[in-house]
Amino acid sequence: MRILDWLRRRRTREAEWRDEIQAHLEMRQEWNRAAGLAPDEARLEARRQFGSPLRAAEAIRAVYIRPWLDSLLQDLKYAVRGFRKSPAFSLVAVLTIAIGIGTSTAVFSVIDPLLFRRLPYPRDDRLVSLGYFGPVDSNEFNVVSSYLDWQRQQKPFVSLTSMRPAAECDWLSGESPQRLSCYNVEADFLATFGLTPAAGRDFTAADDRPGAPDVALISYRLWQRAFGADPGAMGRTVTIDDRPVRIVGVLPKSFEMPQLGDTDLLLPERLDASRPRSQNSSSFLRTFGRLRDGVSIEQARAQMLPLFEDSLNRDVPAELRSEARLVVRSLRDRQIHEVKLASWLLLGAVLGLLLAACANVANLLLARAAARQREMAMRAAIGAGRGRLVRQTLTESLLLGLAGGIAGCAAGWGLLRAFRHLAVEIMPRFGQARVDLRVLLFSLAASVAAAVLFGIVPALERPRAETLIAAGTARPRRTFFRKFLVSAQVAISLILLAGASLLLRSLFKLESQPMGFQPEHLTTATLTLPQRHYPSAAARTAFYNEIEERLQRIPGAGSFALSDSIPPRGAMGRPYSNMRIQGHPPLAANGGLVLFRWVTTGYFEAMRIPIVAGRAFREDERASGESPLVLSASLAHRMFGAENPIGRFVDLSSDGHWCPVVGVAADSKNNGLAVPPSPEYYRLRMKNVAPFPRDLVAIFRTSLDRATLERWVRRECQSVDPALPVTVSTMDERLDRYRDQPRFVAWLVTLFAALSLLLASIGLFGVLSFLIARETREIGIRMAIGARPADIAWAVQKSAATWTAIGVAIGLAGSFLLARAIRGLLFEVSPNDPLSLAVAVVVMVAVAALAALIPSWRASHVDPAIALRQE
Amino acid sequence: MKRSDGLQGTLDLLILKTLERGPQHGFGITLHVQDASEGLLRVEEGSLYPALHRLEREKLIQGEWRTTPNGRKARFYALTAAGKRRLAEAESNWGALSRGVQKVLRFA
Repeated sequence: MRILDWLRRRRTREAEWRDEIQAHLEMRQEWNRAAGLAPDEARLEARRQFGSPLRAAEAIRAVYIRPWLDSLLQDLKYAVRGFRKSPAFSLVAVLTIAIGIGTSTAVFSVIDPLLFRRLPYPRDDRLVSLGYFGPVDSNEFNVVSSYLDWQRQQKPFVSLTSMRPAAECDWLSGESPQRLSCYNVEADFLATFGLTPAAGRDFTAADDRPGAPDVALISYRLWQRAFGADPGAMGRTVTIDDRPVRIVGVLPKSFEMPQLGDTDLLLPERLDASRPRSQNSSSFLRTFGRLRDGVSIEQARAQMLPLFEDSLNRDVPAELRSEARLVVRSLRDRQIHEVKLASWLLLGAVLGLLLAACANVANLLLARAAARQREMAMRAAIGAGRGRLVRQTLTESLLLGLAGGIAGCAAGWGLLRAFRHLAVEIMPRFGQARVDLRVLLFSLAASVAAAVLFGIVPALERPRAETLIAAGTARPRRTFFRKFLVSAQVAISLILLAGASLLLRSLFKLESQPMGFQPEHLTTATLTLPQRHYPSAAARTAFYNEIEERLQRIPGAGSFALSDSIPPRGAMGRPYSNMRIQGHPPLAANGGLVLFRWVTTGYFEAMRIPIVAGRAFREDERASGESPLVLSASLAHRMFGAENPIGRFVDLSSDGHWCPVVGVAADSKNNGLAVPPSPEYYRLRMKNVAPFPRDLVAIFRTSLDRATLERWVRRECQSVDPALPVTVSTMDERLDRYRDQPRFVAWLVTLFAALSLLLASIGLFGVLSFLIARETREIGIRMAIGARPADIAWAVQKSAATWTAIGVAIGLAGSFLLARAIRGLLFEVSPNDPLSLAVAVVVMVAVAALAALIPSWRASHVDPAIALRQE
Repeated sequence: MKRSDGLQGTLDLLILKTLERGPQHGFGITLHVQDASEGLLRVEEGSLYPALHRLEREKLIQGEWRTTPNGRKARFYALTAAGKRRLAEAESNWGALSRGVQKVLRFA
């Protein structure tokens, strides 16, 4: 309000100056006319005589601004002189602010692209992701037949578009083939997101028709890499998956797939409404829409609901219907859903730390103000106005804040680089995190806000004349506030500590939980078959047999197996209720999905998954016509209860093909690390048929180091198919993908808690030392009349304990709230976990006691003789 | 104050002296100085206004919007008590200065 008023007054004042000058010009003009000049000449002459009205207005403004600038300069000079006089104070204050601002800057740079920065699409707030949501996938999806219905009948969207799930393709341009990431998208995909190609043209409806000539949009990066950004690339024909494809356009430079991630290539999706519904309903899509103006997400969902119900009944098997629901959510939510909570937690934690840093600096400034009371009173006495003194103090705070802010930006930049060394992709969009102008503006704002926060109390300290006459330093009255600041620091630290200890405990549980298999010494190689090289099942079978043969022969490879997928993930599941047991009534509906893998004989041995009943697959079964089955323990229990499943026959998809159950394997993680394993069964890969999909994982339990094994694997694969892309990684690396982010969050919060604890102990130490210095005389008297050193030390510890206790009480309340809020990030740890909270409190109290140790020791060693002479 | 000597001080003195006759607007001050000096002195109009505002800031004069006899709105400035004191001071300084300068000139 005040600022607005001030601005308004300023505006009217400037207008007044212009009016005044204008009045002058008009009077001069009349005068000139009266002297006989023509109207035009009179006006020009008036202007000529006056000179530039703009410059005059400028000169008037300078009249008002100059004194203000002068006094600012004076304040600055004075502040700098003051800081140079007490370098230790200045250094500690600047460092403290730098800690707060540095950590805030680093964290902000990481979460800004997630939470606040606009998505790279025009009017990004109108974009949504929508589709079925069910246990099959962690994100909403769609099927072609439903989507075609929705698209025809929907009302809430300007446009609805779709893409197929991630795919890879082989790009042949010149000699060597490359594996690229490519997506099949609908013709209006870019248009829906409000984008146009950087060069060339977008897809047209004609491109998207089944059977149309193949065309592609390439990414800006690929355009630069493969064509040197040559506009002549448009119209060029390249070979993708062994087919000639014409390049028609280039994606925008900053293009990003809506589900996050890069792509090299977009191809038309070519949905075919003429295919039978049964085929289209098993073909998966991701669907996105742009809302009409004025339509909210809730309204859109309500309007889509009847369409959803309708297509649900037509496209989703009855037994899965009850588990599917319609999801419409903003594109940002779709992108950051999994890290939203973690992002807010990090932001909250780092702001807490910043607050603790502010409290510390405020405390330092109050101590300094107490020492400068006489000086301030003197300045007031010789005529410095109250406003002037407040401004002086605030200038000092701002100067400190800015110095700390600059150091903090540098620290933040360094911290961000350190994050980068920790892991490549800790958070989504992590690659975009950098200290840019936007982040610097945040840091500046944070520094100024911090400066005002820690400067305001010392600034409002009223200089008192009696300090001028009092001998020595008079008693400052602000100790209450200083104690309060210490309590606040303790509270913040405790909250951060509680958060850190909950997260660490949860991380420990996550990392030490049984996986169901032994991840040590496991190395995996993932191969993806170029589809069009192996069009027939026979060609694929031959390939798989040969690759198995060759990989098995690698010297020292240890136990070896092939699978189509590998824990902690599973392949796509099938409905439980589709399964039948021979001689049993049908299984219960709503059983969710059952995962399955195709494996070779050595799988259980290589993974070290224990067989708990029956036996593992045998090599001789691979040529037989049987389809032996191994169930996971949870699936066996679910299907058979207490009955022995070994030797029973199971029909997996109600097609009359009965498979004998030969064994039961222990459960192993197949849904990521944080979720209990889903029921799962294993099928044996036969020698003569190739049911494997395009993905193939070779698993080695080996004592060879990774690099050696990788060389061997690559050589063998190359000799089968030189164009075959191979990715080798150890199981630990695979698991890290699931552990990096919880680790990052837990360790970062722990770092903040530790820093906050450090600041709190400095604060406590500072206030105690200050009080003891002030009461040296009183302590001396007490000792002179018989107090023992232990009594004095105890008294000091007791007062420290009081403020700490207040802080702990507030902090505990805050910790409970925080624990509730971060419940979603905890793995097998209750938000009220007494152990975590107890650890936090014990650490806090121990550190506080430690911080009070030196001051209390010093107090108990006051020499009464010296203390009493001090005057 | 430092500003009461030198050229700037001269302009201040002319303004204050003109306003001693009663409130006047900027243009009126320009005319008066020109008339009273029989055309020997001309106030530079562009720098008159910054000077007026500076004097107002120093509380030597007080500005106010009023209507001129011709029915035009203009900002009139009037001397304050402090302005009157400053004028007296500046007049005597100026007298001393000009007498001094005269003597030096004659002596040479």
